[in-house]
Amino acid sequence: MLTNRIIACLDVMDGRVVKGTGFVNLRDAGDPVVLAERYEAQGADEIVYLDIAATGEGRGTLLDLVRRTAERLFIPLTVGGGMRTVDDIANALRAGADKTAVNSAAVRHPNLLTHAASRFGSQCVVASIDALRRGESWEVYVDGGRQPTGLDAIEWAKRCAELGAGEILLTSIDRDGARSGYDIELLSAVAAAVTVPVVASGGAGSARDVVDAFVRGGADAALLAGILHDATTDIRSLKSALQAASIPVRTAA
Amino acid sequence: MTRLVIFDYGAGNLHSLAKAIAADGRNVTVETDLRVAMQADCLVLPGVGAFGAAASAMHGGQADLRAALSDGLPCLGICLGMQLLFDASEESPGRGVGLIPGKVTRLRTPKVPHMGWNDIEWRESGNGQNRASLGSAYFANAYICEPEDESPILAWTTHQDARFASMVRSANTVGVQFHPEKSSFAGRAFVNAVIEDLIECR
Repeated sequence: MLTNRIIACLDVMDGRVVKGTGFVNLRDAGDPVVLAERYEAQGADEIVYLDIAATGEGRGTLLDLVRRTAERLFIPLTVGGGMRTVDDIANALRAGADKTAVNSAAVRHPNLLTHAASRFGSQCVVASIDALRRGESWEVYVDGGRQPTGLDAIEWAKRCAELGAGEILLTSIDRDGARSGYDIELLSAVAAAVTVPVVASGGAGSARDVVDAFVRGGADAALLAGILHDATTDIRSLKSALQAASIPVRTAA
Repeated sequence: MTRLVIFDYGAGNLHSLAKAIAADGRNVTVETDLRVAMQADCLVLPGVGAFGAAASAMHGGQADLRAALSDGLPCLGICLGMQLLFDASEESPGRGVGLIPGKVTRLRTPKVPHMGWNDIEWRESGNGQNRASLGSAYFANAYICEPEDESPILAWTTHQDARFASMVRSANTVGVQFHPEKSSFAGRAFVNAVIEDLIECR
């Protein structure tokens, strides 16, 4: 059967991995290619690069990093951050990405998802949604979690899937970097609303949190960053814990 | 020097595929002209893009390719590349190669696309079984191949309430619905063994 995936996320800037808390306070966490290869060897199911600077002048650096990674990494690679046009997506795929994550540009130009899906297939198009809790609901934020949009996260997730996104990468801004667990209510609401796979992001502090994302949140995959980079846990022990909780996972050969 | 040619439909990531199948004694190139690509020792139909766009990129070369494949040209089709071996797809208009009679249909399961790592269920008495085997592999598909009869099927995969062909073979052509080039160490070993096998069988 289809297994639940563990995805190692590397926030990159100027060719290096960084990780912050609540989208700020960046700390240097190493060389992306070395880390990506290490995670593949440990049994990571996928790798995500999020270019958090995402400036025009940084594009060449990112594409070069993607090219170098694709030469050595043989599990799927998703690249996000600053994907504004179909050409940006084409360039990332050409450089060696298997999927691209589109965030702010999808809110501004929803047809971008449709155009990209019809040209490259919906399996290449991930809608990345950053959501902030507002009482009983969640609001979509763009521009690295700084700009409110007035969009309801659940409605927006449904719309992204209708427009052609093949997967939803759902980040809780409240939980990002806090290590207090994924926002299970957000996750389960979105997972119930869409038929495409949902990736849980923001808040993983322990194996227990990842178990919760799958069992209670209904996620198809869980994204982890900080706790892998600083070796709070590793993918092997994480997968052992998931197996112990009867969650289907791929055990690395 | 063995010549492996990846046919480029103009869609996506061919870079990591080229790296995955590179080896000593092999020359791997990417080619946009199907008739030139058909001169290879082994033709690779890659797995990214949409059916209609890839069919257009063949510029009417489908019948010639079908003849060459029937005649024993080694060929590996990955994901969309496997789907192109069939007659037509629900995804978009356009003619497939038609090497394997049958059609490509939309996956009708609660969750689509079928995304992630899943089991390869090997058929016990599959004809032309490859030496290579693989326990699980990475999939990213919303469409599946439905051969008119089951004889070309070497392996199945199950997603929710659907069971579909995940590997087929006809003459020296193999199609895989998964992405062996994205299935880590075991996947790379598998895809390279399949290519060796196809070239040796010629």
